[in-house]
Amino acid sequence: MIMRRYMLGRVGQLVLTLLIYMTLVYFLMQAMPGDISQMYLANPRIPQAAREELKKQLGLDRSPFLQYISYIKNFFTGNLGVSFSQYPKPVWDILIERLPRTIVLFVTANCLSFYVGFVLGRIIAWQRGATVDHIATVVGITFWTAFYPLLSLILIWLFAYTLHWLPLNQFIEPALWTRAPFTSNTVFGYMVLGIALIALAVFFIFWTLRRGLRRTRRSAALAWGMTAGVICLAIWIAHATGTLIYIWDIIRHMMLPVCTLTLINFAGTMLLMRDSMLETVQEDYVMAARAKGLPDNVVRDRYAARNALLPTVTSLVLSLASSMSGGLVTETMFSWPGLGQVLFRAALGNDYPLATGALVFTGVFLLVAHFVADLLYAALDPRISYTGQPAEG
Amino acid sequence: MDALLKVEDFTMHYSTKAGWVQAVDGISFALNRGQSLGLVGESGCGKTSIAMSIMRLLPYNAQTKRGKIYLGGRDIYSMTAEEFRQARWKEISMIFQAAMNALNPVYTVGSQIVEAIVEHEPDTTEEEARRRVAELFDLVGIPAERSDHYPHEYSGGMKQRAVIAMALACNPSLIIADEPTTALDVIVQDKILREMEEIRRRINMSMIYISHDISVIAEVSDIVGVMYAGKLMEIGEADDVFKRPRHPYTYGLMHAYPSILGDKRDLATIPGEPPNLMAPPEGCRFNPRCDRATDECRAVEPLMTKVAPEHSIACHNPVWAPSSGGEQVGVAR
Repeated sequence: MIMRRYMLGRVGQLVLTLLIYMTLVYFLMQAMPGDISQMYLANPRIPQAAREELKKQLGLDRSPFLQYISYIKNFFTGNLGVSFSQYPKPVWDILIERLPRTIVLFVTANCLSFYVGFVLGRIIAWQRGATVDHIATVVGITFWTAFYPLLSLILIWLFAYTLHWLPLNQFIEPALWTRAPFTSNTVFGYMVLGIALIALAVFFIFWTLRRGLRRTRRSAALAWGMTAGVICLAIWIAHATGTLIYIWDIIRHMMLPVCTLTLINFAGTMLLMRDSMLETVQEDYVMAARAKGLPDNVVRDRYAARNALLPTVTSLVLSLASSMSGGLVTETMFSWPGLGQVLFRAALGNDYPLATGALVFTGVFLLVAHFVADLLYAALDPRISYTGQPAEG
Repeated sequence: MDALLKVEDFTMHYSTKAGWVQAVDGISFALNRGQSLGLVGESGCGKTSIAMSIMRLLPYNAQTKRGKIYLGGRDIYSMTAEEFRQARWKEISMIFQAAMNALNPVYTVGSQIVEAIVEHEPDTTEEEARRRVAELFDLVGIPAERSDHYPHEYSGGMKQRAVIAMALACNPSLIIADEPTTALDVIVQDKILREMEEIRRRINMSMIYISHDISVIAEVSDIVGVMYAGKLMEIGEADDVFKRPRHPYTYGLMHAYPSILGDKRDLATIPGEPPNLMAPPEGCRFNPRCDRATDECRAVEPLMTKVAPEHSIACHNPVWAPSSGGEQVGVAR
């Protein structure tokens, strides 16, 4: 009950933040020099009456404030307007096509780089001062400070151009898809859904067996066996429906950008994790765990790393935000047809509705990510209570 | 009878940038099954270092120079890490100095105890371990249903009790209690000490109490060891040591403590401060602060010598105090 009240309050906050953000975005767009009217309406071959008519049709004859009010009103009824540059395609149709690609790419890259950073940070903090510590730190910092577009070019040159392991760029291989009985978005949707279901199933398997996992090798074998089974089943379903080669094509195209983003970003989490864990290894409960005679890896994972994880979750959300905003560079380097490119073109082309829509949805996504992170904090740290009752003692 | 724990001439130094810190120097004592030993001394005199040496939990810059520690007849420093890991908590457990922080904040208190039981007794099922936790909580006076709560939901005294319950979990033959009650207020402190002592006697366990508070030690120990600057100054049966302290340091320590029951008097203090353990004084380490120091004390290090069947001191010039506790000879203030 209290939890529901918290959630409602939090959603209310989200909506309020979104409104403020939309207002800012809207008026920033208005403040941009030049507007669509000059491009469209200043055309001398269009007669004055037609121009006025067009202006009225686009709603540009009203004051900016009235335009803003109707924009907000339309937004909450699901109408984002019509793109000026791809007239008369609704903004929503463009976003719904592009947004998932961007989100999937960046969420995958961020989760992977967080995981790599977490695991490496855990190892180097546990073996601080050892060779592995120095190597990982130097390599991590090198990538972290590398000029990102240059690094992507090098990786494209190496893996796509020279070794031919991975495709150069784009989202799909056009030649493969010409005869495809599906659209790329349908397949992409099924792929995302499928991966989400697999992740859920694997989580469920490990969660049910969590007690046994710590004690016996047999349950570990069982858990990994079931995981392999779930993945095999998913592959079989994909094969049976004929989508497998297409899914594989999309995954192959994702690999290079995801790996590049991971290489660039993992050092941030790694060093944060290392610092955080160097503090937790000093804690009394870590010494107590060792005194209890728990095996070394249990002390490391369940005591030192588990507590060091808490502050690094913040970095997951922050890096998601920064990589989304840096998404344009990635999407340009890899010609990934995502939201970043849409935003870029829309901004250049004075396509307000589209640019505003793209920015607002980036914002919506980040707000949701923050909300999820808040819930994640509470799940990871029992001391954080969102129920409104202060912890005692 | 073979001693449960035997420490022989144990010497451990810390390596620091400035040099070697001689934290533990030539400590010897033995503890039988069911006996309790109290180690008392000022902060930084090496009490905790001894405890950590016995638990093999020394930091990486610690180096054992001499001596051996035998637990149940086995030299713990010649055991492999894995062998000793298995001996921990089952044979020797510990109540930590900062019990408040000895519990992992992200797991329930009960599960942390279950974890230890299951680790050392692989045949125990989770349910049996949970039942044992309920019994232990009952023993230390925490309602059993609290085992599903997180450490931050406990009060200070409850955390202390939970840590004691955790130390008892695998029925160890020896528990080291390092300042077990220092963080608590005096009333809770006294209550917990009494309860611990009662449990200890009931299950015939050995215990090492470590404290800077001589009243805590007096309350619970069979044997008392007084440490100063990394060395054992006096060790003996508690009654004997408290009634007839022979070492000037012990004597000073006892008179630096106010008595509620005794006559009103000024507190005697020991002048000066403990020496720098990187360069301890020549001869007896206590000599710069000792009002009985002679040239011999400043030159020759005193050896442990027996002054009674179960009472040894390391002093050239001991205090003789009559058993009545009346007039003192030698210490004039």
